[in-house]
Amino acid sequence: MNLALRQTGALGRRALIRTMRVPQAWVPSLFFPLMLMAIFSGSFAQAPGMIPGFPEVAGFLDFIIAGTILQAVLIAGTSGGAAFAADIEGGFFDRLVSSPASRLALIGGRITANIVIGVAFAAFFITVAMIFGARISGGVPGLLLTFVFTVFLAAAAGGLGVTLALRSGSAEAAQGAFPLFFALMFFSSAFFPRETMDGWFKTVADLNPVSYVVEGMRVPIAGTGDASDALLGLVIVIGLAAISIVATLRSLDRRLKGDL
Amino acid sequence: MNDASVEANGLVREFKGDVRAVDGVSLSVPAGQIYGFLGPNGAGKSTIIRILTTLLSPTAGSATVGGHDVVKEADAVRHKIGVALQDAAIDPFMTGRELLRLQGVLHGLSRNETRKRGERLLERVDLVDAADRRVGTYSGGMRRRLDLALALIHEPQVLFLDEPTTGLDPISRHTLWNEVRRLNRETGTTVFLTTQYLEEADELANRVAIIAQGRIVADGTPTDLKAEIGQPTLSITVSRDQLDDARTTMARFGAPAPNGDSGLSIQLPDGAAGVAGVVRALDEAGVTATGLDLSEPSLDDVFMAKTGKRMEADEVTAS
Amino acid sequence: MRRMPSVFVPSLLMPLFILVATAGAFRGIGALPAFEGSSYLAFTIPMATVMGGGFAGINAGMTLARDMEGGFVDRLVASPSPRVALVLGPALAAMARSSFTTTIIFIAGLIGGVGLPGVMGTLVVYLVAAAFSVATACWAMGVALRTGTVQATPLMQVAVFVSIFFSVAYAPREAQDGWLRNISDVNPVTYLLEASRDAELTGVAISSLAPAILAAAGLIALLGAFALLGLRRLGT
Repeated sequence: MNLALRQTGALGRRALIRTMRVPQAWVPSLFFPLMLMAIFSGSFAQAPGMIPGFPEVAGFLDFIIAGTILQAVLIAGTSGGAAFAADIEGGFFDRLVSSPASRLALIGGRITANIVIGVAFAAFFITVAMIFGARISGGVPGLLLTFVFTVFLAAAAGGLGVTLALRSGSAEAAQGAFPLFFALMFFSSAFFPRETMDGWFKTVADLNPVSYVVEGMRVPIAGTGDASDALLGLVIVIGLAAISIVATLRSLDRRLKGDL
Repeated sequence: MNDASVEANGLVREFKGDVRAVDGVSLSVPAGQIYGFLGPNGAGKSTIIRILTTLLSPTAGSATVGGHDVVKEADAVRHKIGVALQDAAIDPFMTGRELLRLQGVLHGLSRNETRKRGERLLERVDLVDAADRRVGTYSGGMRRRLDLALALIHEPQVLFLDEPTTGLDPISRHTLWNEVRRLNRETGTTVFLTTQYLEEADELANRVAIIAQGRIVADGTPTDLKAEIGQPTLSITVSRDQLDDARTTMARFGAPAPNGDSGLSIQLPDGAAGVAGVVRALDEAGVTATGLDLSEPSLDDVFMAKTGKRMEADEVTAS
Repeated sequence: MRRMPSVFVPSLLMPLFILVATAGAFRGIGALPAFEGSSYLAFTIPMATVMGGGFAGINAGMTLARDMEGGFVDRLVASPSPRVALVLGPALAAMARSSFTTTIIFIAGLIGGVGLPGVMGTLVVYLVAAAFSVATACWAMGVALRTGTVQATPLMQVAVFVSIFFSVAYAPREAQDGWLRNISDVNPVTYLLEASRDAELTGVAISSLAPAILAAAGLIALLGAFALLGLRRLGT
């Protein structure tokens, strides 16, 4: 078991090094969420306090932090999946499979790297938002809870990316999952409260688990909702991570058996 | 257990759409041998090597590597084998040293052991100076050498090389051959290599199997296989007035056959070793040979005889 | 050609997705006084059509870059046809694509309960998007001509998205935070969007149309020169 952990660590380290050395793999996951965070907080600054149903927050920037982290983690999940698929395409994955390395480490490395990247991004966005006047309403414990959310969110997104990579074996196909992530994010309360939506769009956002995860995450960051919202979000994000990792393991199994 | 043999029994692998990439392959490679698997593109070589290295399970049949079943005891097999697969699948964004370190961990070596062996291997494949450069900057030959070093970090008993020199220039190709030969000589590592180069099989392998369309069509030492087709032929050219003297002299070594209007050919079972005797005898008889040519049957001829087809037209043929 | 459909479909549907997602998610913001009672779906239609123009322009640049990679452009340059056609053709094609996406956006608006803004209004919305498609096509082709590779696509895209996002894409200037307002004040895309928005929401107004014509002319002149100068690098 100790060896499996060492192998997971080594493969995670390799995935991180690789990500850092390929700017296309991480610049978009920082740039686009940062840009939208700026644009949305610049465009909707008047929303809190003036829009009926908008939760009570110190400012729109405080409100949007959780959605920004979510967005970055989802984009990083896509590029992580694409990198994993590139390993399959290029044959690096075969090198791993033909070694006696723990089968769990084969996927654990990539997902671990995604978690590290996710937490680093979260810390970065929170820092930027604080420079521009946002405050973490839950203080240090709130910050820690935010990171717990990020860990499971990154595991869920990373697992989904790796699953798509294992199933398709093609970086282009894995990258093609991006619109799906994008839709999951926009058809939720990631950027605006569900309380202000209506019609079919609200129904979709109500059914979208991402809404509850973001709302849970906003509790420690922006002080919206209460402890039960945070708990619900946490349970859902842990559930999503579990489902995603089970799916990843099953896809790995199928690929190793040669069914894919 | 120190068994380093490779055995396969009736291996079959079908892919979707009823494609039989491997169609009943049996083979037996004793420990310490260099076994060459020769065939054109798409003959099934890579599929067999993927089955033997646990990357693919056979549709039917069984195989053992180092005494372990490749399906039921895949993990035990993985501990015994070193693998360098086609297109040298090496992450271009990592450095050679980083990849060696990773490979060591994957095989469960301690950090110290990995470092020691890694440095020794880097020296051996002449990549010490390039070890901290990204693999993306390496030449084709350097990549293959790194690939070989990676496959050897855990001192495997059986080494699988899938087309190790495809696309390399002749000098890089010879460097790699020398390395493989030296490894086999010094450590007794069994080497299982696939190739589409007749020259490579001829140069390296103790034993060669020729594969076409998923089946082994011939199997034996390169010399045996060639002998099956025919013996080396010595052709001489003399001035026309010496033709009769030459024929008389050469008749002592074999049955001279006319070759053009001033040439003669005889079969020489000893090949090059027999040439000197013939030349000396001609000299003593006062015959001056103006041309001399020894041609040995090549593996290409064997392939032709067994399959009715030539290998790739742009092939580097055996000398 | 093999790759064409995968490039073709999303770039035509993306503006529709942006319309639906934006109008649905931020519906509530329409209650701010700065929106003067218009529905946020109607408010978003001009932005989605301009975005469609931008996608059409990027597509022109990507196609040219791919043709350059494939050597197709070399053959055209060697032929006696005027080089300007190399830039002019795709720019016209971008206008056609833009008109197509604008139509889709209008249809989506009708389904969502937003009627067409009269003949003049509708025409202005089409023309603003088309003008932006020509400007962005010139930009993207200029990049393609200088780099000669499809890998420059992100550069073409980012500039177009940034120019739209840092204008009045999501809220009118009156509702914007100071820093964003300072940027959108000097961003020509702001004036394109405002003319299109006036046409869509309250009726064509000279006060917003004149600055838009100026902005469009300026953008097309500047970026057109950028593309034409790029042409001169060919075949040298």
